This record gives sequence, C-alpha cells and structure tokens, in this order.
Amino acid sequence: MLSKEELVRSLVAARRNAVVVTTMSIVRTWGRYSNSDLDFASADSAMGHSADLALGIALAQPKRKVICLNGDGSMLMTLGSLATIVEARAENLILLIVQNETFEITGNQPIPAANRIDFSMLARGVGFKNCYNFDDVQRYEQTLDSILKQKGPTFLTVKVESGNEGPLSRGSTQEVAYLKPSLAESAHQLRETLLAERCF
Amino acid sequence: MINAQSILKELLYCGITDIVGLPDNCSATLFALLNSKNEPKLRLVSREGEAFALASGLWIGGKKPIILIQNTGLLESGDSFRGTALRMRIPLLCLVTFRGYAKTKKHNENFHKKENNHLYSQPSLDSVALFTEPTLKAWGLPFDFLSREEDTKKISSSIRLSEELGSPVVLLVTENMT
Repeated sequence: MLSKEELVRSLVAARRNAVVVTTMSIVRTWGRYSNSDLDFASADSAMGHSADLALGIALAQPKRKVICLNGDGSMLMTLGSLATIVEARAENLILLIVQNETFEITGNQPIPAANRIDFSMLARGVGFKNCYNFDDVQRYEQTLDSILKQKGPTFLTVKVESGNEGPLSRGSTQEVAYLKPSLAESAHQLRETLLAERCF
Repeated sequence: MINAQSILKELLYCGITDIVGLPDNCSATLFALLNSKNEPKLRLVSREGEAFALASGLWIGGKKPIILIQNTGLLESGDSFRGTALRMRIPLLCLVTFRGYAKTKKHNENFHKKENNHLYSQPSLDSVALFTEPTLKAWGLPFDFLSREEDTKKISSSIRLSEELGSPVVLLVTENMT
C-alpha cells in the first residue's frame, strides 16, 4: 500500500505537460506538491463526475495527456463512465483510481464492496486495454513513466492508505493554490491556458 | 414535425463541434444522421449526468459542444448540471426532448398544487412532462420551445443567449424529428 504522498510525488515528476484533474481526498495532497496552470481540482463541483470532465478535456485536446485522479467512491458513482471512455476512444486519457476503500472526506466510512471490488477487472471488462494495479511503491515508481507514454485509454488502480482529509471548499484562505479561485474561475483559466498553448 | 437535417444545418452554422447525449425516440433521426457524419462529433454517454461534465470538459479544452438528451435524463442530471456547466459558467445549449408534452400540456401550470397530486400516477399522463418546466424554472434556466420547422432559428439565438449569460440554456423539443 502507498501513501498518498508517494502516489503524488512520482506522478508530479512524470506528468510533463499533462492536464491533471483531481477530486476528493487526493485534491489537497496533489496541490501540496504541484502548482501548475494545468492542474484542475474537481472540488465544489459535481460528485462522481471528474472522470467525465477529464474525458471531455482529453477529447478536445487529443495531443495532450489528461490524467484524472479519481476516488474509488467517486468511480462507483458513475461506473457507466468507463464504457463511455472506451466508446470515445480517448487514447490520451489516463484514469487513476485512488483506492483507499473509504469515503475519506466524510469520515472514512467504507465504500460499498470496499474490500472486494476489483476496479481494474471492471475496466478491462468494458474494453480498457491497459489496466494496472499497484500496491507497492517500488513497482509503481519504476513503471509509471512508461505507462504514461502508452496509447490509452489507460486505467490504474493504486491502493493507498486512508488519511484524514476533511471536506473540500474553495476560496482565498485555502492552503493549496488551485483551491483559491472559484470553480468557474478555475475552469475559465484552464481553458485560456489550453487555448494559448494551442496543443491540439 | 421538425426536420433533423434542418437542426444539423443550424448547428453547423453556429460552429458546434460536439454533440453530447443519449438518444430517444424523438431524437433518433438526428442521432442516425450524426452517426453518418464526421462533424459535429457525436459523443455518446452511458447516462445523461455524464453529459454535462463531459461537455464542460470539451468546452474547457476549447470546443463548442451542445447537449442532446430527453427530459427524463435532464432530471437525472440535476447535480451534474449544477456542479459542472452551471457552476463553471459554461455557455451550453441543451436540446431536451420533451417526452409526454402533448398529453400533459394543459396540466403543466397547475400540477404542483396539492389537490392535483393524483396526476403523478395517472397512467394516461407522463409524469416527467409535468416536472419538466417547473424544474427548469426552479433551476433558473432560460428555456424556449422547438416545436416547428421555423423554430430551428432559435438554436442560434439560444446559443447567443448562453454566451451572453455564461450559462446553459435549454430548448425543449416538443415534436419528433423526421
């Protein structure tokens, strides 16, 4: 099992110019290690829909990788999105499930089927070609870079320790930079960044 | 009846790049037409709630999408719509087919009164039609009707309105597309 910090540190180093969409318990951890115009927190947004949002960005920006750090509880809310992603043939999308087996930000209540569900098997079942499971940091760090270079859509499940992240909000007093703007400001800023870079 | 070809022509005229949605009987002809074209791109979802997040992502990435779903799916999408397109201030036209419109039209203004609760379970009426307009009003969403061939011009005016407001707007499609 990895710590959230171990998951994030390697990914920050390997992401290059990828857009990274985060949600739920990984939002602040990501923001403590990364401060990029290409980071987007799906916070104060619609629960369970960060993978759909990331898919939209990926389809609009086919030459740029888009990485979504989704919660396991969040993924359960919209399992149909897995089929939608495969149908859309988003080769530049990497969907990473942060599997802590709990709804951490509401107090670590166990998610349904917490210790039985195999997300990678579900992903493979709907047609994801590249599916990976990680529960030790060494193998994760060694293979992450090559996985990100593959033609996707790619699906990773990373088992992490549950923490004590509380509910998410936005505003100028927030600890991490990408939670300071409103959701609308963040969305419009990311669009401006992507249009300015013209990486279509 | 509304011609699907006319709708497609208007969408292309407005520069729409992607149509995100799920088909129903009313929109089936337009979906079939879109399946045979490369532009705009048809983006199928598994359930309508995904559509608002997906379309918001497309817009963030530089595209100009619209949504095409049934009114049942609009109700399913409540939190997704609120937490993505609306909260992100994204200009987005939503073409929403109005299942049950003809049979429930006369009840739409009064159904929410307590004495009319029996309408929800009346087999001859489609309860989703009773909920559609009051829901849009409650959500503060501008909406209009696409009921005749000449109404297709409302597509461009609705897109302009959504851009001015920085908000989704809805066109309710009350007739089957041919």
